[in-house]
Amino acid sequence: MYRSFMPAQHLTLLTVLAFVAACAHPRGTATGAGGAGGAGGGGGAAPQAADESCLLSTGTVSGRAPTITIGLTDAVDPRHAPIARNDAERIVFGQLYETPVRIDCDGHVRPELAAQWEKSDGGRRWTFHLRDGAQFWDGAPVSAQDVVFGKGGVGYTLGAPDSRTVALTFTKDKDDVPPFMGDPNLAVTKPAPDSSWPIGTGAYWATSATTTAQEVRAHTTHGDTLVFKLATSGDARDLIDAGVDLLVTRDRALRDYAATLQNRAVVALPWDRTYVFVTAEGSGARFDEAGLEQAVRADARRADGSTWWGDLRACGTAAGPPSTPAATTQRRILYARADPTARELAGRLAALTHAVAAGRAPDDFAAALTTGKEWGYVVALPRVPADPCRAGNDFLPVWPASITALVDTRPTAIVRRGVARWSVDLDGTVHLAP
Amino acid sequence: MKFRTRLLIAFGVVVMVPLLVFGLGIRTAMSRRVAAEYEERINLLVGVIRADLVREEDRISARLRAVKDRMVADNRLRSAVLRGDDRAYILDYAGDAMRLAGLDFLQIQNGDRRVVSSGHFRNEFDRFGAFATPGGVTLIRAATAEGPFLVIARPDTVHVAGQVFDLVGGIAADSAYLARLASDPDFGVALHVPSDSTSAASSDSAAQVVVPLPYVNAVDEPNRIQLAQIVVSHNSGLLAALLQNINLWFGVAILVAALAALLLASWLSTRISAPVEARIAIGDLARQVNHDVKNGLAPLRNVFRHLIQVARDTPAELPQVFAERQGTVESSITYLETLAANYAKLSPQSERKATDVNAVVRETIGASGAVRTKLAEGLPPVSADALVLRRVIENLVSNALDSLDGKAGTVTVTTEGGKGVVRIAVRDTGRGMSKAELDRAFNDFYTTKAGGTGLGLSIVRRLVLDSNGSLDVETEPGKGSMFVVEIPVQ
Repeated sequence: MYRSFMPAQHLTLLTVLAFVAACAHPRGTATGAGGAGGAGGGGGAAPQAADESCLLSTGTVSGRAPTITIGLTDAVDPRHAPIARNDAERIVFGQLYETPVRIDCDGHVRPELAAQWEKSDGGRRWTFHLRDGAQFWDGAPVSAQDVVFGKGGVGYTLGAPDSRTVALTFTKDKDDVPPFMGDPNLAVTKPAPDSSWPIGTGAYWATSATTTAQEVRAHTTHGDTLVFKLATSGDARDLIDAGVDLLVTRDRALRDYAATLQNRAVVALPWDRTYVFVTAEGSGARFDEAGLEQAVRADARRADGSTWWGDLRACGTAAGPPSTPAATTQRRILYARADPTARELAGRLAALTHAVAAGRAPDDFAAALTTGKEWGYVVALPRVPADPCRAGNDFLPVWPASITALVDTRPTAIVRRGVARWSVDLDGTVHLAP
Repeated sequence: MKFRTRLLIAFGVVVMVPLLVFGLGIRTAMSRRVAAEYEERINLLVGVIRADLVREEDRISARLRAVKDRMVADNRLRSAVLRGDDRAYILDYAGDAMRLAGLDFLQIQNGDRRVVSSGHFRNEFDRFGAFATPGGVTLIRAATAEGPFLVIARPDTVHVAGQVFDLVGGIAADSAYLARLASDPDFGVALHVPSDSTSAASSDSAAQVVVPLPYVNAVDEPNRIQLAQIVVSHNSGLLAALLQNINLWFGVAILVAALAALLLASWLSTRISAPVEARIAIGDLARQVNHDVKNGLAPLRNVFRHLIQVARDTPAELPQVFAERQGTVESSITYLETLAANYAKLSPQSERKATDVNAVVRETIGASGAVRTKLAEGLPPVSADALVLRRVIENLVSNALDSLDGKAGTVTVTTEGGKGVVRIAVRDTGRGMSKAELDRAFNDFYTTKAGGTGLGLSIVRRLVLDSNGSLDVETEPGKGSMFVVEIPVQ
């Protein structure tokens, strides 16, 4: 019943193959187009089969219903848009807001705001052409300036040579479209004067008027509707029983319940999150026989060794001062209180090390991690970040830290069969597929 | 020290010493009684706690039996134990069973005493489990992710799929549990363990009884059995407050008794000392009369002896000598007459009746221009003998005039009404009196005037007191004096 996605080492192999394929094209003028780009190929082949491979296996769909309902188990705050802080916001924002390109589950680059792109100057300069008719929800056309305004990062610059073209310039040659072009940080929005939802460019739009405490309604100009229903009863099984068409969860009990239902497909999504133990102790920590994957109730496995955080020196992040642990004999392991997996891992580590675990509200946890005064922290990281530098800056401390990977986890999609086609991005975000 | 003062002190000692001894005795007895009662109640509470521990042991046993029955009947658990393919189910098992059985602590341990499943701390698996002594309850310091907590637990054993598992289950020995044991706010129950303490009692305790319990620190020393103590104590603050109350009321009782004793002693001493003082006064008076009479008779005797001698030796000169000594004789006789008149005044016979004070004052002052009067109108009649009142006013006015020493000054007599009395004040601007003079002013035969008898003010005081009135003096040397007489109204 469960469809497992490709492990990271296979993805790397795919990337290498794509890179080889890209090398077959003439350098400097490679061109990509909608549905044909690949992360491993600057304009190289991006076969339709690859797109199909990212579809959730949920049975035959004869035609999409005009109204699709998605269940949410976390709260959604429009003020966070377009940067999601939980799984629910990731689904909602992913439907409403667009990035220049999208990276599918296989790592292929798919057009979104940019319909075509090409590289030049040996891969140092990439040019993205906005799709025709791209416009904000209020009808204003999207210009290249809207895309690049306030954006940029380590090792690259974004420019707008004209209103329809976005120029991406690297300090080094790049053979592939960089994944950060699909990072939500590059989503194009502008403030809305009368709504807490920023105005986006996606097909679906939402405003404060379409938002209640129970649901968020997003509409298209063609009359289609997405209804995001919140689990207000506290029991997400009620959402499934109420007939939602999609629900993404990390709760094993919810997954097991859905598996007992006839018309539901239960699909394991990609491993998208890695939990790490962060400590200031120079020797770090090893938990080889700790049974950590058993300690958590989420779908988990031992961390596969992907350690993108291992070398962030290229990001130019200035190391902070050495941490000064609090003067206490009791070692404490901090975790974000809202994350049950982090709590369970902190508890297991506390049992193994005779420390105590202590939960903090998300903002307090981030502040505590910045100070580095506690013995250790359980931190959730994206397993494959679109922009490692940005992720390192967002999730990891600046002080010299030893980081030990603990477990990878993945969510599960519970899908009503025959209603709609759903595809998955590289970061695990589920989309309505055309 | 006056006789009356000595008598007063003696009475005070006689009354106060027994009272103090009696009060201290009562206080000590009450303190002992209260302390004994507290100890008895502590012993009763200890009995209740022992019984409660037995009941808790029975309850925990019953709940562990329910868990055992469920484990034995659970086919999925049996399958997981046999095949080892459903570890998550085993890990979660103790948590579900613990909550359903109403326990706060539950560990399922394998034969090596390693935790297979832990209800209160799921991720404790594979760690050494807590050890509970068979045949009773054990106090266990158990671990959770957030820190240790104390439980009262007991062990049991279950066979599943041919394997033996130890169950250790219990209830939290937290502050709520201790508060439930010590429902009486006068008492406190505390758990003292070798490395820590959880207390619901004040450390300010006066007496305590200890109930020992086996103790295992499952966090740091899971194999070592030590002794913990349930300490039952009563709050010494309450006893101290009670004793403070007793002391307060004891002090009040002593004060009231002392006051009553002083009043009684004063009354008794007055009753006893009055005749004695009277006798002393009479003795003094007799001596004084003897001395005064002798003083008056001595010149007469001398004159008489002189006349006898002249009549015997030179009879012709007798008329001449008699004429010469006639003044001495007459002077002595006058002195004796005056003396007799004064002594006669010491025992006046009074007759009380309604008397108009202003009328008496006017009659006494007469037309004397040396004395001013300021008399209030509409005064009620007083209960006094008019003659006595006149003598009082005469004496006071006479003294006041004498105090002027012939110099310019004023003597004023005023009357006014008071609360149940009429007040007569005689004020002068004369020489006044020093404190020493004032202290002796009312003594018999004390005088500062040449030729005075020293009986005037003494007589005035007795006359006023006989009329149930009072006499006060305000005086200042060089500025004058004011004598105030208050006579009760009819």
